[in-house]
Amino acid sequence: MTMDPLFLALSLFRRRKFEECSEICTQLLKKNPYDQAAWCLKTRALTEQVYVDEIEVDEEGIAEVLMDDNSMAQLPRPGTSLKKPGTGIGAPTPGVRPMSQSGRPLSGFVRPGTQSARPGTMEQALRSSRTAGTARPVTSASGRFVRLGTASMLSQPDGPFINVPKLNLVKYAQRQNLAKSLFEYIFHQENDVRNALELAARATEACNFKDWWWKVQLAKCYYRLGMFRDSEKQLKSSLRDQEMVDTYLYLAKVYVRLDQPLTAIEILKKGIEKFTGETALLTGIARIHEALNNMSDAVQVYKDVLHYDNTHVESIACIATQHFYTDQPEVALRYFRRLLQMGVYNTELFNNLGLCCFYAQQYDMALNCFERALSLSTDENMADVWYNIGQVALRIGDLALSYQCFRLALAADNNHAESYNNLGVLEFRKGNIDQARVFFQTAQNLAALMYEPNFNYALLSQKVGDLQSSFSAVNKSLEAFPEHWDSKDLLRQLRVELAAL
Amino acid sequence: MLVPIFTLKLGQKIHSRRVTIGKYDGQRPCLTAATTAGKVFVHNPHSQAVEGGRVTTVNTDISLLNINQQVSAVCAGQLGGSENDVLVVGTPTTLLAYNVQDNTDVFYKDVPDGVNVLTVGQLGTTSSPLAIAGGNCSLQGFDYEGNDQFWTVTGDNVCSLALCDFTGDGQNELLVGSEDFDIRVFKDDEMINEMTETEAITCICPLYCNRFAYALSNGTVGVYEKSNRLWRIKSKNQAIALCSYDLNGDGVPELITGWSSGKIDARNDKTGEVIFKDNMAASVAGIVKGDYRLDGKEELICCSVDGEVRGYLPSSPQASDNLMGVDIAQEMLRDLSQKRQNLLLELKNYEENMKVSQSMQSSGGVDVDQSKLGIIPANTQLQTSLHVNPGSEHVLPSVELSIATSNEMIIRAVMIFAEGIFDGECHVVHPLQTSLSNSLQVSIFPPRDYPVDLHIKAFVGTKTSSQFHVFEITRQLPRFALYTLYPGEVLEPSSSVEFHINERVNRVVLWINQNFLLLEEIEAVNGQLDVAFQSLRTHTPLVIRMQQNGNVTLKTDDMDLAGEVIQAMTTFLKIEELQTTADFPIQMDDLNNILVKVDELHSAGQKLTAEMADHSNLIRSLVVRAEDARLMGDMKNMRRGYMELYDLNRDLVNGYKIRCNNHTELLNCLKMVNQIIQRAGNLRVGKHKSSMISSCRQAIKSSNMSSLFKIIKAGVQ
Repeated sequence: MTMDPLFLALSLFRRRKFEECSEICTQLLKKNPYDQAAWCLKTRALTEQVYVDEIEVDEEGIAEVLMDDNSMAQLPRPGTSLKKPGTGIGAPTPGVRPMSQSGRPLSGFVRPGTQSARPGTMEQALRSSRTAGTARPVTSASGRFVRLGTASMLSQPDGPFINVPKLNLVKYAQRQNLAKSLFEYIFHQENDVRNALELAARATEACNFKDWWWKVQLAKCYYRLGMFRDSEKQLKSSLRDQEMVDTYLYLAKVYVRLDQPLTAIEILKKGIEKFTGETALLTGIARIHEALNNMSDAVQVYKDVLHYDNTHVESIACIATQHFYTDQPEVALRYFRRLLQMGVYNTELFNNLGLCCFYAQQYDMALNCFERALSLSTDENMADVWYNIGQVALRIGDLALSYQCFRLALAADNNHAESYNNLGVLEFRKGNIDQARVFFQTAQNLAALMYEPNFNYALLSQKVGDLQSSFSAVNKSLEAFPEHWDSKDLLRQLRVELAAL
Repeated sequence: MLVPIFTLKLGQKIHSRRVTIGKYDGQRPCLTAATTAGKVFVHNPHSQAVEGGRVTTVNTDISLLNINQQVSAVCAGQLGGSENDVLVVGTPTTLLAYNVQDNTDVFYKDVPDGVNVLTVGQLGTTSSPLAIAGGNCSLQGFDYEGNDQFWTVTGDNVCSLALCDFTGDGQNELLVGSEDFDIRVFKDDEMINEMTETEAITCICPLYCNRFAYALSNGTVGVYEKSNRLWRIKSKNQAIALCSYDLNGDGVPELITGWSSGKIDARNDKTGEVIFKDNMAASVAGIVKGDYRLDGKEELICCSVDGEVRGYLPSSPQASDNLMGVDIAQEMLRDLSQKRQNLLLELKNYEENMKVSQSMQSSGGVDVDQSKLGIIPANTQLQTSLHVNPGSEHVLPSVELSIATSNEMIIRAVMIFAEGIFDGECHVVHPLQTSLSNSLQVSIFPPRDYPVDLHIKAFVGTKTSSQFHVFEITRQLPRFALYTLYPGEVLEPSSSVEFHINERVNRVVLWINQNFLLLEEIEAVNGQLDVAFQSLRTHTPLVIRMQQNGNVTLKTDDMDLAGEVIQAMTTFLKIEELQTTADFPIQMDDLNNILVKVDELHSAGQKLTAEMADHSNLIRSLVVRAEDARLMGDMKNMRRGYMELYDLNRDLVNGYKIRCNNHTELLNCLKMVNQIIQRAGNLRVGKHKSSMISSCRQAIKSSNMSSLFKIIKAGVQ
C-alpha cells in the first residue's frame, strides 16, 4: 500500500522539502501533463526554493544610487532627505560615533542599506563597493535576482519547467487558481519582470480590479522596473481594498526610493493606526529615523518596539549602540547581555561586550570577551576585533601591543582604513614622519568620508611645513565633519601662515 | 518715473506662463518656476538678504526639483491641511502636489487628459480649497487628499483658468478659457455664462469685484465686467502674463500685462489707458505679486524667460501722475492742439459748402455741379438686407449682405466690423471706380452658429464727389444664418432628440423666424409645427417638429447642432431646466469604437512603458560596467560596453517615438470622448446637464460602458 503521490508531495512541501516535492510532481506530470494540482504544486515548490523576502532583502544597486532621477529635491532641507548623510537633527558627531565606510554613523544592526550612502562619483561608488566587503548589485533589477534565478536552473537538466515566453498569459490570467502561483514563479524563479507584469496586469483586469493581492504584485513589478510612481498608485489602491502590513511596508519603501522619508514615516504611522503595535511597521519608522541620523527619535521608536516585542534583536542592538556612543557603557552592557541571553552568540556581540566592559572599567571581563570574539571570528570580521583590541591597548598605554594589534588587523583585512590611520598616529609619535604620511594617505584613499586621516595628514603636513597639502587636507576633513573644532583651528592657523608668506 | 526696487538675475531659464509664488514655510514667499530639462526651481532669497536698490545680486539660493517630465503648469497655494503653501506641478500626464518644506508628496495623480493650466483656491460651495487642473476638454479639481471633488467637460482644450467672484454672491466661480475661443463661467459644475472671443484665450486674471481681464493668442488684451466687455486693445505682440496690482497707489488695482516682446505695461482697468511702461531684455515669462523683501509691502514681481526678475513697489499717490516719466501737461497740450486742428478743418469744410449753396441760390437755377461738394439729397437712406445664398458648384454657400441706397447715390466703400467672422475682425469693400453703383453685395461666411452684430459703415456720395457721407448701421446676423428651408423631399435623419416644453407652438415659430434667415416667415399648420432646414455647411437636414401638446422633436445627425438649437431655444423661451431623450446611433457607434481603441492604446502603452523601464535599467547597468572597466584600465571591455550601450540607446529612442505616437493617439481619443460627453450635456439644460455629466464621469470611472450609453441617451442613470 503506497501513499498517494500527490498527498506525499503536499506533505513534503509542507515540510519544506522542496526538491523531493518537485521530483514527485515531475513524475505526476509525466503521467498526466494536464494535472493542474501537480503543476501548481511544482511551481510553488520551485518558487519556494529561491524565495526571498522582498521587503527586507533589497539593496539599491550602484546604478540606481548613482543615476538617481527619482528623488524630487536636489537640494532638500536638512532632515528631509536620505541623500546627504549627517544632516540630521540630534545626530551624534562623527567625533563621538564613528562613521561607516560610506559616511553613515555605525548602526547597531547591519542590514542591506546601512552600509550605503549616496556616493558623489562613479569612482567612489565602484571603489567603496569593491572594498567594503558588501555584495552590492549593479542594479536592483539585475544582480542578485538574476544570480538566484540561474543557480536553481542548473538543477533542471532538461530545460526550464515552464517556458514563459511561450505561455498564453491571457488564458492563465483568467484562472485565478493557477495565475497566482504562476506569477510568483515567473517573478521569483525566472526573474522575468516584464512578463510577470503583463500577467499581473491581465489578472487584475480579469478580477475587475478588485483583488488587492494582484495590485501588490503589480506594484512589486513596477518597483523592480524602477517605475516608482506606478508602484505607488497600485499600492495605494490595494490599501483601499484591503489594509495589509506588507503593503504599508512596501509603500514606505517606495517613498524611501523617491527620497521622501517623511512621507514614508507618515505612511507607516497610518499603518500603525490600523495595526496597533505592529513591530514591523515600528521598526520601519525607526530605521528611517536612523537613516536620517535622527538618533533620539530612532531610539524612542525602538523602545516602543521592545514594549510590544521584548526579544526584538534589532531594537536591542540599536539601543545598546546608542547608549554606548552616548557614554553610558554600563547601560549598553545590560542590553548586550540581554542579547546574549537570547542566544545571539557571535563575534560582533562579544566584541561589543568587550568594549563595553572596558569602558565600564571591568577590565578582567573585557579581555575574556575579546578572546571569545577572536575565537568565533571569521575573515570578514577579524580585522575589526583586532582593531578594537588595539584600541583598548592604546587606552591602557601599551603602545607596543596596540601597534601589533593594528598590524594584525591589517593582516586580516588590508583595506581597514581605521587601522591605517591609527598606525599613522603611532608612527608619528615615534617620529617616523614618512612612514606616518604613507599610512595617512592610504587611509585617506580607502575611506574618503572619514575625517580623521585627513585631519591627521593636515597636522603632519603643517608640522613639516608643507602648508599647501595641509590646507587641502584640512578642507577635506571639514567637508566630512564641518563642525570639527580642531580642523577649524588648524585652518585658521594655516590661513595666518599662508598670509604671512 | 517708477524704477524697479530690486533686480535679480537667477541664471535659470524660465518657461513662460509657468511662474508662481508660494509661502512654503508659511511665512517667506519663494518664487517658483518651471525651467529646462523637466525641472522646477524654487528661489528662496531669505537664506540671505536681497540687496536693495538696483543692485543685482548674484545668488546661489536656488533649489531645483526634479519632475522628470515636461512641466506644463505650476501653481502654489493653500490646499488646506496646514499653514504652508503647497506646490502643485502639472505635466502632460500627471499632477503632483508637493510640500516643498518637508520634501514630501501631498498627492500624486495620473491625469490622462493632461494638465494645461492650474489654479488653486476655493471654488463655489465646495468645503475645501481645490487644485483645479484644466486639460484636454476636461476640468478636474483635487482636494488635499487627492480625491477629485470636481469634474466637468468643456468644449475644447483648456488654456486658461481663473477663480473670480463673477456673480458677486461671495463665492468664487471658475472662468475657463479654451481653444474654441470661448470663456465659460462655471458655478460649481454648472455653466452659467459663455462669452465668445475671436481667438484662443491664453490668460484670464481676476481684477476685483466681478471684473476680469483676458488675453488672446492674437495679441488682444481686454477687460470684462461680468459679461460686458469694458475695453480691449490689440497688439502685434502676444500678452504672456496678466496680473492685477495697484501700481499708482490710488487704491484701485491696475491691469499689468507682460508681453512677448519684453514690454510690461500697466493699464487703467476701466479705460485701458496706459499709465506705466517698462521693458525687459527678453520676453516676459510671468508676473506675480508677493512680499519678497519681507518688509510688509507687497511687490509686483516680473520675470523674463532669461531669468531676470524685477520687483516694483507702488508709487506714492502724489507722484502717481508721473509714472510714465513724461510731462503730463505737455502731453495734454499736444492732444488739445491736435483736436483744434481737426475742428478747424471741419469748420473750413462747412464754410466752403455754405458759400457754394449761397452762390447757387443767388445765381438761381444755374446747374452747379453739386456732386463736387459732396452734397447728397437729404432723403438718402441706406438699406441693408440679408439673405442666404445656397451656393453652387463653384460658389461656397454664404450669407449675402446687400447694401443699397434709396436713390442714385453710389456707395464708394463699405467697412464691416464684426467679431470672429473676418480675419482681423474687419472687412473693407471698395469697388473699382468703373463699377460703382448704388448697391453692393458682401458675402459673409459665419464660421459657427452664433449671433453676430455687423457694424456697417458705408461711404455714400455721388459718382464724382471727393467727399463722402458716412452712414453707420448695425445689423444683427441671426444665430442660424447658414440654413435654408430644405428643398424637396426630406431624407429623415436617423438621429433625434425629443423633449417636452410647456409652451405654445407659436412661440417656437416666433423663435425660428427670429433665428433663421428666411425669405418668408413660416407658420404653424393646424397648431403643429413641422419644418425642415438644410445646413449649407454640411448639406445635412435639420427637422424641427412640435405638436400641440408641447412635444418637440429635433432630427439631425449633428449632435453639436442639436445642442445649439436646444440651448438657443431654451434661452429664448426662458426655460431653466430641460431633460431630453437623445438618440444618436452614429455618434454612439463612434463612441463605442473610440472606447475600444482607448482600451487597446492603454494596454499597449502599459507594455511599452514596462519595456522602456526595463531597457533603462539595462542601460544603467551597462554604464556602470563600462565605467568599472574604465577604472580598471580594461579598455577592451569598456569599448564593448559602450558599443552595447549605444545600440541599446538607439532602440530606446525608437521605442520612445512609438510611445509618443501612442500617447498622442490616446490623448486624441480621450479628447473625443470628452467632447461627446460635452455635446450630450449640451442637449440638456440646467441641473440635468450637470447631473448628466457627472454621472457620465462615474460611468467612465467604473468603466461601465453600457450605462454610459444609457446616460447619454436618457440623461439619467
